[in-house]
Amino acid sequence: MTNTTAMAEASQAESSVLPDFVRRIPVRPYLALHPVTKATLAMVGAIVAFGVRGWTGPAVVFVAVVVSGAVAGVLRRTLPFALATIPLVASILVVNTFLYPNAKDAIVTVGPLTPTWTGATAALQATLRVVAFGLSAAVFALTTPIDDLLVELERRGLGRRGAFVVGSALGSVPRTVERAREVTDAQRARGMDTEGGLPRRFRGLVPLVGPVVFGALAEVEERTMALEARGFTAPGRRTLLRKLPDSRPQRLARWALLVGSICLVAVSLAGAVKLP
Amino acid sequence: MDLLKRWVARQFTTRVIVMMPIAIAINIVLGYTVQSVLKLPIYVDSIGTILVGVLAGPLAGALTGILSNLIWQYAPGIGSGSSIGPFAVTAGVIGFLAGIWGYLGVFRSRPASGLGLIVPAGIAVAVIGVLAARMYTIPNYSDPNNGYPGWVYGAIVVIGIVAAVAVAGFIFVRRDAAGAWVAVAGAVTGIVAAVISAPIVAYVYEGVTGSGTDLIVAVFRRGGADVYNASLGQGLFSDPIDKTITSFVVFLILGRISVRVLARFPLGERLVGRVADGESQPPDAG
Repeated sequence: MTNTTAMAEASQAESSVLPDFVRRIPVRPYLALHPVTKATLAMVGAIVAFGVRGWTGPAVVFVAVVVSGAVAGVLRRTLPFALATIPLVASILVVNTFLYPNAKDAIVTVGPLTPTWTGATAALQATLRVVAFGLSAAVFALTTPIDDLLVELERRGLGRRGAFVVGSALGSVPRTVERAREVTDAQRARGMDTEGGLPRRFRGLVPLVGPVVFGALAEVEERTMALEARGFTAPGRRTLLRKLPDSRPQRLARWALLVGSICLVAVSLAGAVKLP
Repeated sequence: MDLLKRWVARQFTTRVIVMMPIAIAINIVLGYTVQSVLKLPIYVDSIGTILVGVLAGPLAGALTGILSNLIWQYAPGIGSGSSIGPFAVTAGVIGFLAGIWGYLGVFRSRPASGLGLIVPAGIAVAVIGVLAARMYTIPNYSDPNNGYPGWVYGAIVVIGIVAAVAVAGFIFVRRDAAGAWVAVAGAVTGIVAAVISAPIVAYVYEGVTGSGTDLIVAVFRRGGADVYNASLGQGLFSDPIDKTITSFVVFLILGRISVRVLARFPLGERLVGRVADGESQPPDAG
């Protein structure tokens, strides 16, 4: 409940600020980067954090993300994202440290529990990987207005259908959250039990899923008509009015990062270069 | 080439383009709500994906699944540290499979009576039995080094029996033979999803995902399974159950949407079928 409320509040807070096309283009170092550059950085972060095993890949991504977050001035706001990984991290640490298959190098033996060094190492590496990836997603989300990214991707051939699907999905989520909350409250008022035992909560599934899905589906017909009436299926490309500053160094850096990271992953997976 | 282009274009009509973002929102919000408000040990984050796949086709379904997970991970205020992003691959395959089920007309209502119900119910029970037996006898499960603990076999039997009774009950109560095909499609989707997810869980997250299912993983590890086999074992437990439930939910949803609306989607005809005798609307699902 708290989560959905928080999501709804976050969306309200966002909708109260100025629309994207009115805002000035930011001048702060990291924020001023072209949205496609920031998207590339996020992608490269994921590739390196997951692709390069051991300590090096995740550690490099972690440092890069923290530095770029600090430069952009969003480091404090990434804290909730980092905190949200705690259940996952705790599970990774506990399960791997105590139950690593075929690990023999016990740290200590306490009754039936034998934590191992092998397990602890694997657990810490996975933790670093998860946190680095989570923070790179967070920095991307906090520094990149989605509308800007969509406009620039459409300019690069995404197509108005793709742009519509992503943009509209982002708008639909807060609306659907709001609807799910209303439905939950209404069903609770009618006696739905969201706190009882497992069978009771399972029974709460149908009265929740039904109204949410049918309410959302009712919109499909209307929106289809609205889009058709405005020439959504017309041939040719749309003229995009908003253009964000891009530069040659950024273009080169994007390609270099992408190709470089893929090569790095390939080299490290092939075992040609041994990284710690 | 031209045929391929037409096949793609047919799946992405304006109606489908409008449906996809709504399906993505349904995936994210229901997944979030079911796991956090109702706190159930299932995912329910692929209702929208399967719905689009069945109504529009494999590519539209796959794209809905992939975008759901990426948006969930990367959009501000929605993702916040969730571990869902890397599973975009799994979600894509689930949507693709749903498209195939749509082409095959799996989700079309098939009102029947008498033998027409007994035979499909028998087939469904037999298929569940075969799947359970297959899981029971996979040799590397009982491998003394990487095998699973003994109670797993008891659990497979119990889950198999419960699933068989539930599906047969659904078929007889609703007098609809389609229940058998929906159950089979859901189980197959779940097994494929588990097989695709296992390497992701093992490689990216060292075998755990931070949810209630980690307990199952821990038990498998205790039994001596390695990281990959423990993840696979957990997936083969949770996913077929989750995807079968999701498939039945989608089937009930489709049954409640009017024929007029269904028929406008690319695969609408395959969902509506021959229901000219005034029985197009099944009785209230409750």
